[in-house]
Amino acid sequence: MNMILGAGLSGLSGLTLALIASLALGLASGLLGTFVVLRRESLFGDMLSHAVFPGVVAGFFLSGWLAREGWVENAKNPLVILFCALVAGVLGAMVVTVLGNSTRLKQDARLGVVLSVFFAGGIALFGFGEPAGVQGVLYGQMAAIDATDLRLMLGAAAIVGVAVFLFRRPLLVVSFDEGYAHNLGYPVTWLTLMFSVLLTMAVVVAMQAVGVVLVSAMLITPAATAHLMTDRFPRMMVFSVLFTILASVGGTLLSGSISDFAAGPVIALCATALFVVAYVFAPRHGLAARFWRDRGQRQRIQRENVLKDIYRVLEREGFPAEGVTVGAFEAERRLDREGAERELKMLEHAGALIRRNGGERLVLSEEGWRQAARVVRNHRLWELYLTNEAEYQADHVHDDAEIVEHLLGEEAIQRLEAELGFPKTDPHGSPIPQPSAPPIHTTS
Amino acid sequence: MDLLAATDIIIPTKLLVWFGLACFFTALGCSQVGTFLVMRKMSLVGDAISHSVLPGIVLAFLVVGTLDSPWLLIGAGLSGVLATLLIELIHYRSRIKQDAAIGISFTSLFALGVLLIGLKAGKVDLDPDCVIFGQVEYLQGYPRVEWWGLEFPRPLVSFAVVGVSATVVVAVLYRILLVSSFDPSLAASYGYFPAVVQLVLMGLTSFVVVSAFQAVGAILVIALLILPGATAYLCANRLPMILLLAGVHALLSSVGGVWLALSLGINTGAAVVLAGGGLFTLAWLFGPVDGVVVRLWMRRRAGEGREPVSACE
Amino acid sequence: MIALETHDLTVTYRKRPVLYGIDVVIPEGNLIGIVGPNGAGKSTLIKAVMGVVRSTGGWVKVFGKPVKESLKRIGYVPQRESIDWEFPVTVMDVALMGTYGKLGPFRWVGEEQRRRAREALERVGMLPYAKRQIGNLSGGQQQRVFLARALAQDSDLYLMDEPFAGVDAATESAIVELLKELRSQGKTVIVVHHDLQSAREYFDMLLLLNMRLVAFGPTAEVFTTELLQKTYGGRLTILSEMAEKAAREGTGKLHPKNEP
Repeated sequence: MNMILGAGLSGLSGLTLALIASLALGLASGLLGTFVVLRRESLFGDMLSHAVFPGVVAGFFLSGWLAREGWVENAKNPLVILFCALVAGVLGAMVVTVLGNSTRLKQDARLGVVLSVFFAGGIALFGFGEPAGVQGVLYGQMAAIDATDLRLMLGAAAIVGVAVFLFRRPLLVVSFDEGYAHNLGYPVTWLTLMFSVLLTMAVVVAMQAVGVVLVSAMLITPAATAHLMTDRFPRMMVFSVLFTILASVGGTLLSGSISDFAAGPVIALCATALFVVAYVFAPRHGLAARFWRDRGQRQRIQRENVLKDIYRVLEREGFPAEGVTVGAFEAERRLDREGAERELKMLEHAGALIRRNGGERLVLSEEGWRQAARVVRNHRLWELYLTNEAEYQADHVHDDAEIVEHLLGEEAIQRLEAELGFPKTDPHGSPIPQPSAPPIHTTS
Repeated sequence: MDLLAATDIIIPTKLLVWFGLACFFTALGCSQVGTFLVMRKMSLVGDAISHSVLPGIVLAFLVVGTLDSPWLLIGAGLSGVLATLLIELIHYRSRIKQDAAIGISFTSLFALGVLLIGLKAGKVDLDPDCVIFGQVEYLQGYPRVEWWGLEFPRPLVSFAVVGVSATVVVAVLYRILLVSSFDPSLAASYGYFPAVVQLVLMGLTSFVVVSAFQAVGAILVIALLILPGATAYLCANRLPMILLLAGVHALLSSVGGVWLALSLGINTGAAVVLAGGGLFTLAWLFGPVDGVVVRLWMRRRAGEGREPVSACE
Repeated sequence: MIALETHDLTVTYRKRPVLYGIDVVIPEGNLIGIVGPNGAGKSTLIKAVMGVVRSTGGWVKVFGKPVKESLKRIGYVPQRESIDWEFPVTVMDVALMGTYGKLGPFRWVGEEQRRRAREALERVGMLPYAKRQIGNLSGGQQQRVFLARALAQDSDLYLMDEPFAGVDAATESAIVELLKELRSQGKTVIVVHHDLQSAREYFDMLLLLNMRLVAFGPTAEVFTTELLQKTYGGRLTILSEMAEKAAREGTGKLHPKNEP
């Protein structure tokens, strides 16, 4: 099987190999990254990537020695390296746990200690000679991936993919609510151990691509990007895999055209670029989406505030059929002619206002009347509620009522009316309008 | 690697002293600042800062052309501030949690730094390996200064300045740091505003990280920051003693590590960290407060019916 | 003289309103209990007064001045669960911390401060444990250490957050005695308390809180079925819902200022 796969791969160009590697990276790192981000274990992932490093170096040494002794054909045997890496990773995780059980050290310090000491161990091993290809582990070697590396990556990625697919539900429950997982009878310890092993594999794959330090970039950034894009877990996994592949392919192509230098950093920066794009443009959670939502709402609130003021003027003058003068409107809104015109245009544009007498008199349309009556009713009901039930002080009421009145839905209004006993007037004695009643003042 | 031959090598005392002092001063500053990072459960942030300052340092280096310049500190500081801003921006303005925000921020900045080095490597004398592995060995190449009749490479002076001044600052601000780390509300009530203290601590971290970079390389800086504090935490019950022991750890791991490096021919930075790890293991086993062996012994004494005495009195 | 005064104090935490327009005037020299259901904002009120938590509206005055100027006169005892008990400080260290406020950050700790700390520890019965690391104490002992710190602060206004939580009966009576002693010295003591029944016995005045100030006054006057029902009965749900909606969907502002 090995030989077939090997034969198939060795025929391909470097670029194709890199592209296939990107797929492997996406599958392994993208999938596991989703869990890491949701479990808030980014530092744990970071620790694993540093802890695995000496394992990989040792694996290179061991593999080379085995090759010289004739036990294996390849000096860079992927199974040997993966095995050593796994041992190191699991060892690192175990040390963290032991430290947790035997000392007062907090988790962050434990992870930091293991991370740095193990990594130092890996670097120290270089003192005994630098096996060929180990540099690739430090900086990643997307540009120079060969068939052997790819076999390792594909194998690990396949295992990760299959395992996550088979155990997706238990893994999700354990990640989200460990207590509930116990409740359901899941073997939590085994699942957590399995997760650590899978994560180690994903780390090894990512290391081949971008190097030790930037493994976190591949684990976390695409998954975080996915998190911004969707609220559903399966989709988040898909997006995460997709973004990882995109970053990897993009980074490899880009770095190939820039320089000879390793593709790792460029891939990481591509992942960040995707994140930035999502940060700004993600539907619903992105900056732009939130800005538009806020803006839409701000406009609505402003429109309703203007209508409210027009209503008040109308009310004061006894709801004259000819409507309100622009001058009275300016006075009520405390605006100059220019500002007033802007607001009036906005209302006209929304179909709430009609201008008569060459623009000098303002008359509400049927729709405008309905909106005005509704918002004034909300405002006065809310004021009444605050004054009566919540014992509000007189000088507070206006500020808060200003916001809430725009957000009260019909259901909340009905509850308010019921609780207040269907009042007719507000705390200031003004009547509470009934928007459902026929308009007192209309166009015609 | 023929170990027998290794032990026969006479370690040049001059190198031992130079490298040892360089590592010691660096480790000293880091140990003092880093102890507070550990106390505040901010080891991860320390790791992030240590990676995030890389682009600032590289840019400063590209401008001034030498590693022996205060501009590197400024570059590092700005880079560190940028990192903190990015983390805030991501964490507070979106649903991304803090740990992921830190991860995104430092990996991007670090990648940027490595890319800058890679692009400019040909034009300037900055080897990416130096950044990863540290370059205490390169001290030999620098011009010398004379003190008390002895010769030292010039960068050693800046290491000393950074290390000593960081220690002094921590000592002066001790009370503020103590109260803010232990009880932020009380600190706020005394006027030591948590946000300000945090900023100062980040600044101090960026400050000591620059030397640490040159001594042990980007990735191991975290070790210099937290190993001393973590080790001391297992050995003492009061913060002043912990700070002192952290300093001792810095000394022992530096000297021991340099000696190891010179005898075995391994990377200096790695050796210092491994020596530190060795000390940590000793503390883990025998630390008077939390040591495994000590605890087992206590339990045995209690089991024998004697009055269990707290190890902390 | 007025120890504490707030006007329209409002605090929003993560888009959820916790305190909404609190107006209260607290005269000095009293022992006051703050009661209300869980999540009512009791701890938040104290933290907002101290400035530990940022308010989104309203103001606070302590002894007639803005809080920042009166900080030295306030002693704050936090909730025990917010403390890291493995922090390397001893009982004496914690008590000494109480003296740091008046000492300032840079002056040496002298005999005067040590004496105050010792006396405070003595008063709560913790002097024999002076050299012990704080993690090696029982719940009641831990609480007493923090009280000693507050005593060492020698403040005029004490704000205590659930000092009786998880404490044994003996310690509880000892603490109440201590609080009464402070009150008789003319100090003002405001305590967030979780148990209604004992609140009736311990405090001169009660502050009923449920996001809004339901009532404040002498215990006898305020401890009525009607008011208690209003506090604990959940009739203010519409208010909290709408305020939350305003914070979440509105342009995010309950008040013109930004939320923390």
